[in-house]
Amino acid sequence: MTTEATPDARRPWRRVALRIDHLSKTFPGTRALNDVSLEVESGTIHCLLGGNGSGKSSLIKVLAGVYQGDPGGTITVDDVSERADRTTPEWARAAGLHFVHQDLAVFNGLSVAENLAIGRGFPVRRFIGAIRWRTLNRRARDVLDRFQIHVDPKRLLADLRPADHTMVAIARALQDQFLAGDEGILVLDEPTVALPSAEVDVLFSALRQYARAGQTILLVTHRLEEVISIADRVTVLRDGNVVATLDADQFDYDKLVELIVGRALDTEVSDGVTMEGEDLLLEVSNLAVGPLQGVTFGLRRGEVLGVAGLLGSGRTTLLTTLFGLKAMTHGTTKLDGQPVAFAGVDQAMDAGLAFVPENRSDSAFLDMDLRENLSAANVPKYWHRFVLHQRQEAEDARRSVVEFSIKANSVYQPFATLSGGNQQKAVVARWLRRKPRLLLLDEPTQGVDIEARGEIYRLVRNAVAAGTSVIVVTSDFEELARVADRVLVLARGRIAGELRPPHIDASRITELVLSASASDGAGEGAHEMENSHP
Amino acid sequence: MSLESTPADEALDVDEKGPTGAISVQHNGQSRLMLNLERFALPGLFAVVLIFFSTWSTTGHLFGTAANFQEVASNYVYIGILTLASLIPLVCGEFDFSVGQNAGFTQIVVATAMARFHVPLPFAVLLAIAFGALVGLNNGNVVARLGVNSLIVTLGTSGILLGIVEWYTNGQSISLGISQSLLNFGSRNYGGIPEVVYLLVIVALVVYYLLEHTPYGRYLTSIGSNARAARLVGLRVDRLKLSAFVLSGALAGIAGVLLVAKNGSAGPEAGSVTDTLSALAAAYLGATSIRPGRFNVLGAMLAVYFIGFSVAGLAIAGVQSWVSQVFSGGALFVAVVVSTLIGRRRSGAS
Repeated sequence: MTTEATPDARRPWRRVALRIDHLSKTFPGTRALNDVSLEVESGTIHCLLGGNGSGKSSLIKVLAGVYQGDPGGTITVDDVSERADRTTPEWARAAGLHFVHQDLAVFNGLSVAENLAIGRGFPVRRFIGAIRWRTLNRRARDVLDRFQIHVDPKRLLADLRPADHTMVAIARALQDQFLAGDEGILVLDEPTVALPSAEVDVLFSALRQYARAGQTILLVTHRLEEVISIADRVTVLRDGNVVATLDADQFDYDKLVELIVGRALDTEVSDGVTMEGEDLLLEVSNLAVGPLQGVTFGLRRGEVLGVAGLLGSGRTTLLTTLFGLKAMTHGTTKLDGQPVAFAGVDQAMDAGLAFVPENRSDSAFLDMDLRENLSAANVPKYWHRFVLHQRQEAEDARRSVVEFSIKANSVYQPFATLSGGNQQKAVVARWLRRKPRLLLLDEPTQGVDIEARGEIYRLVRNAVAAGTSVIVVTSDFEELARVADRVLVLARGRIAGELRPPHIDASRITELVLSASASDGAGEGAHEMENSHP
Repeated sequence: MSLESTPADEALDVDEKGPTGAISVQHNGQSRLMLNLERFALPGLFAVVLIFFSTWSTTGHLFGTAANFQEVASNYVYIGILTLASLIPLVCGEFDFSVGQNAGFTQIVVATAMARFHVPLPFAVLLAIAFGALVGLNNGNVVARLGVNSLIVTLGTSGILLGIVEWYTNGQSISLGISQSLLNFGSRNYGGIPEVVYLLVIVALVVYYLLEHTPYGRYLTSIGSNARAARLVGLRVDRLKLSAFVLSGALAGIAGVLLVAKNGSAGPEAGSVTDTLSALAAAYLGATSIRPGRFNVLGAMLAVYFIGFSVAGLAIAGVQSWVSQVFSGGALFVAVVVSTLIGRRRSGAS
């Protein structure tokens, strides 16, 4: 096929490096991608944009061969077509699709040269197999020069700046293609999430140079202002559909938000998260720790407060700090009007706090039994007169199994043999048994089936009815809108806005999260002002 | 131990049983059978060994005697106590590789105290336990507070202690001036059973109680299962780990006293890394039975005497000593493989 002949009418000299035609991806019960078609031109930076659940990740995974698309779609790279239901990681590599994921998979303890050689093979001496260090470092220097990374190949990766880590990962992905003189497509999946803004600038200027030299780049990101600064073209996905593909001169910030969210931009901006004269359980003022700066909010008794934010916004730090896992560097926390600063989890628990962490690997005792998992946070309750009353413990466990509708054959069943949803219910039950005053939930329904989701929130609701206050962090904004009485939007370490009924819905949350996460420069200014009057 | 309630149980605590009391017995028949096979494999094998060596014509006349049983029971008390010492850190996911050498160190402490400084026996024993605990404190501090790999730390400790023992004893045994009551304790029987066996029973019961019937034991088990989750339910993980090493060291101190009681002297060769290996072998072998997948006291004690009687039987049968070495090593090998497989199945990984 000579498809040099699918020229864009506006730029007939351009060549299409990657074309996706009619790609769909169906999971049991949902359709992640629906008849997606798009073209990425050679030597351009093409951004892929969309909110949570828009299908971005599914699209990338089909390209990487991790998922296969539904039959009927095709993916064409450099004029070679493959059926979308046949993609494999080997195909992706052979086709010249090079991926750099958010988790860079670089080795901090190895040198730059070793990082580049890993996965490609080290140059070795014949027969004895010893690494030829001089050759290794010389080759590494060539690659680094080509990608304009100005570091010594012998330096440890750990000593480099964050942007250089990303660039080394990019160089590693592209080096073979560069050595073979091929063209290929670089796919960057959320490369800037962990980078400070100055580092983003470094990375982006490098990306622009690569593109100018002819490299095709497909960039997946959440951050609109990055799209505006770097994209030659942008494709917006929403609910698995391509909503629009626009050239750089066809979009601005408001337009992008509108496309992502699906309706015209709300100009009403809510501000002010202070609450006065209310029945407050928790008052946080000017909290600073890790990425968080000047965070101020209140929580009413019996309220479910949702926290929305992108990865890296400080949402988990907020919860772990409240729970005494991290020390505040600045600010005050009041519980029931009393200032508190917990030096450890045990103190936070004594004060009536409970925390369900994001990963079950941080909460499940897999090789212990259900009963022991349920009582893990209140073992001393069963310790009377030098005996651990295990029969009473088992009895309470049976009661919890019924009360929290955990499906198990026995309370002595090894925890590992329970389904993920039931494990999570047990972890939530572990804390609700303590009748906490404040329950902190970090992504409580991650990896949990839809039925268990509903049940977990029913349990939380019951606790709320009994007077517990809840702070819940989740990246599923639909869910957040359903369960939260009020939503705070956290972006780049600060509270960027608040939504109260009747304004809480998923699209509004998405809009606030995206616009707040994008206003980088403006955010710096606000930061200065806030600090000037403490 | 049984999870089911007999009718008598039911009658006794009828008000404790909720309406859901029945769910504890709904086990799938086949997995129940497998579990019981697993649980009683070691006791079964143990019984086979005893019956075989007692009835086999070559060994029966010597093996099946009271004297032989007393001998083996008494000889393995020392390894039994070392096994309990290594069990406590194992429960919270750490190795104490220094228990054997620590016993070798504390036997010198107790003997020196009596022979050189004329310290009365009870205080000499306390001194040995205190020194053992001190070694444990040092191990625990480095492991728990600095987060250094416990295997390496305690291996280092073991080497240091070996050097100290050699330096202090100058290669000579201490055999004069040791309390006669200690020597009697090491050699006498009470009611047909060696007195030292009572000591092992008492220490084993205490450790069993500590690990299975106190919150402390539950905490150590939780840390061994998932240290991060343990921290998130409010446990002071580093303090608890530290205490496990201190207890382990104190038990090694008791083992050191026992060495002197059994040998009648404190020599530079007694108490070594080889003993540590035997103790670890027994702890791992014990984890394959009684409560498969978990380190447990009863299983470990069974394992100690399974190895003890097997080696004794082989010796009586006249096999060369290397066969016994291979048998002990093989037991460790099999134990670690089997208990790892059981543990992996329990925690759901493939």
